[in-house]
Amino acid sequence: MQRNIFKNTSFTCFLLALLFSFSIVAQETTVDDYKLSFSFKTIKKFDNTRVLEVTFIGKNREDRKDKIPVFDAEIKFFNIANDEEILLGTAKTSNEGIAQLVLSEKQKYLTDEDGYINLTARFEGSDVLDAEEEEILVKDLHLELNLEEIDSVKTIFVKAFTIDSLGVQMPVEEVDVIVSIEGMLSKMKIKEGTIENGEIEFELLQNIPGDVDKNFTVYAQILDNDEFGDVIQKQTVNWGTFNKLNTPDKNKLWSEAAPIWMYIVLTILLVGVWANYMYTIYNLYKIKKEGKKINISQEEE
Amino acid sequence: MNLENRKRELVKEFSPMLEKTTKVSKIWMGILVAVILVGIYAFFLQLFKGHEVTGMRDNVVWGVYIINFIFFVCLSYSGAFISGILHFFKTPWKNSVSRIVEIITVLSLIIGPIFILLCIGRLDRLHYLFLYPRIQSPITWDIIAIMTDLVGCFIYLYLTFIPDLAILRDNSENAPKWRQKLYKFLAIGYQDTTEQRETLHKITKTMSAMIIALAIVAYSVLAWIFSLTLQPGWNSSIFAPYFIIAGLYSGVSVIIVAMFLIRKYYHLEHYIRKVHFVSGGIILLIISLLYGYFTFSEYFSRWFSHKIQDTNLLNTLFTRYFWQFVLANYVGVLVPVVILFFKKFRTIKSITFASVIAILGLWLNRYLIVVPTLETPYLPIQDTRPEFIHYTATWVEWALSFTGVAAFILFFILIMKLVPVIPMSGIIDQEREALDKKGKTNQTITE
Repeated sequence: MQRNIFKNTSFTCFLLALLFSFSIVAQETTVDDYKLSFSFKTIKKFDNTRVLEVTFIGKNREDRKDKIPVFDAEIKFFNIANDEEILLGTAKTSNEGIAQLVLSEKQKYLTDEDGYINLTARFEGSDVLDAEEEEILVKDLHLELNLEEIDSVKTIFVKAFTIDSLGVQMPVEEVDVIVSIEGMLSKMKIKEGTIENGEIEFELLQNIPGDVDKNFTVYAQILDNDEFGDVIQKQTVNWGTFNKLNTPDKNKLWSEAAPIWMYIVLTILLVGVWANYMYTIYNLYKIKKEGKKINISQEEE
Repeated sequence: MNLENRKRELVKEFSPMLEKTTKVSKIWMGILVAVILVGIYAFFLQLFKGHEVTGMRDNVVWGVYIINFIFFVCLSYSGAFISGILHFFKTPWKNSVSRIVEIITVLSLIIGPIFILLCIGRLDRLHYLFLYPRIQSPITWDIIAIMTDLVGCFIYLYLTFIPDLAILRDNSENAPKWRQKLYKFLAIGYQDTTEQRETLHKITKTMSAMIIALAIVAYSVLAWIFSLTLQPGWNSSIFAPYFIIAGLYSGVSVIIVAMFLIRKYYHLEHYIRKVHFVSGGIILLIISLLYGYFTFSEYFSRWFSHKIQDTNLLNTLFTRYFWQFVLANYVGVLVPVVILFFKKFRTIKSITFASVIAILGLWLNRYLIVVPTLETPYLPIQDTRPEFIHYTATWVEWALSFTGVAAFILFFILIMKLVPVIPMSGIIDQEREALDKKGKTNQTITE
């Protein structure tokens, strides 16, 4: 409900919403009661695009459950190297306080001498909110995912490497990776392990349910890595099984149509009873007809 | 003996019952109308304000309305059952009670279902029951059974009325014209010829057999509305026969009370004699023993199985509903049994008293079947107001309940103004049979 109230304000921060909101809580609460959290992360996706994401929320200092997103705040994203600052783009925080910028796979980054990309997210502040800035240093990791069936064993190969200035692939070490399968609502974790010498392989379970065409999607994810950030790779493969959908029950106590015996019994009962009613009415008609005849003959006499 | 003259005599004998309304009778009818008017006010109050004016809430969704519904509908079924048996087996003393039973059957079957309508919160959606019926639902079966039974009972009642209507048509020269026209229309040209008489007897007998079968089916369906659920206190395999016996218990009791009142008020001691009360009393004794046996079996198996929900229910019956339980299941059964068991207690008044106790006991028994069960559900509502958990009937519910009873009595009196409560045709039939027998005997002697 609070979100809806704040949404109508044109101001870029949550403070005015707090000050002018008509809720009792808002009247008693000030911006000082909230600690602002400005977190920044990068995700390299399977199509080699890179997502820069800022989460900007205010957390109540006393009540941990009370979190208010800072929405409509303009965030600027930079790539910085050797005092050179390149603006990658800007994005505004959503109703949930999240600002995202998607950089294409062709985006060129400035790196330092160790190959690190300096990415910075900046909120330049407003009348009531202070400026915020956070930087992260990541290396551009290349994650490859190969699915092969070797001697009837479905195997997942994950390969991770960086490319140095000379264009040579440099395998990575000691990087944790999670393999999961895309489900209806979220990703289901299948295996996890540590990449050594740039490679790791997993044996996949048998009889994993797929879609109608027996396809399912395998993900390899490196998450919250200090050196590489989030890196995701995925592959769709035709290794699944398809269980036919249960056909809805017919003619059961719980189905739309009743069991056939019920219709038969009910019909027999009702037809029997109503036929008897009809027979009775027919006989009454006969009595009436005879009565009429008698009346006519009496009148004639 | 000339039967036509005898018919004339009978009409003369019964016509004061039909045409004259005494001062006492008018006062009684006035009181009944007043009760009905209060009920109509209560009905509109409920219609406009909703079920808020009743004691029914989220937990206890059924109250005295459903109890009245079961009571009246069971009364009707038992009436149909008894009436069917009286006609089908040509019971010797049937003539004195058959019309009382038939009127009780039809009236209670009209009034009973009205109570179920009062239970429904959204009457505007009532037609959905007919538009989207589920054949698997006992509620649907009950609607079909009640409607079929109502039509059957009407036809049956009408069949038994026809010969009397014909007698009244032919012998009511001094009656008002509207009455003469009504008799002529309803008598459908019945002239009591041998052929007509045989046809009428044949279809009445078939209908009486049909009515017995229908009553058993409808009784069972009504019991299944409860017993096919998993609710503690309801989920029982003996509920259908238990309902049949309980229905007969109330039915016979109401017939005895009606016989007593009609006999006393209309001075029909010549027709409704002590023998009828004693016979009714013995039937009531047998049924009360059966009813007591079923009641004991029902509670005993629940107590012995000691399932948590059943135990909770029984605890409620022995604490919150202690006195009602004692009145319903001890007083309501044992007092009639004791009175009716000993021959010296079998007077008209004591048999009628036993019947009144049986009626009240049975109504309370119905209350204990419905309300305590709804108050002890599988998932108890927590942290809510006590009035949402427990049920107490409001004045609106009581007013509408008494309106049902008042309407029942009022319509009974009005029907007795249309045709005699003792079937004249039955008396004529008996005398005709006696004449035939005599004629045959004479013929044999002559031969």
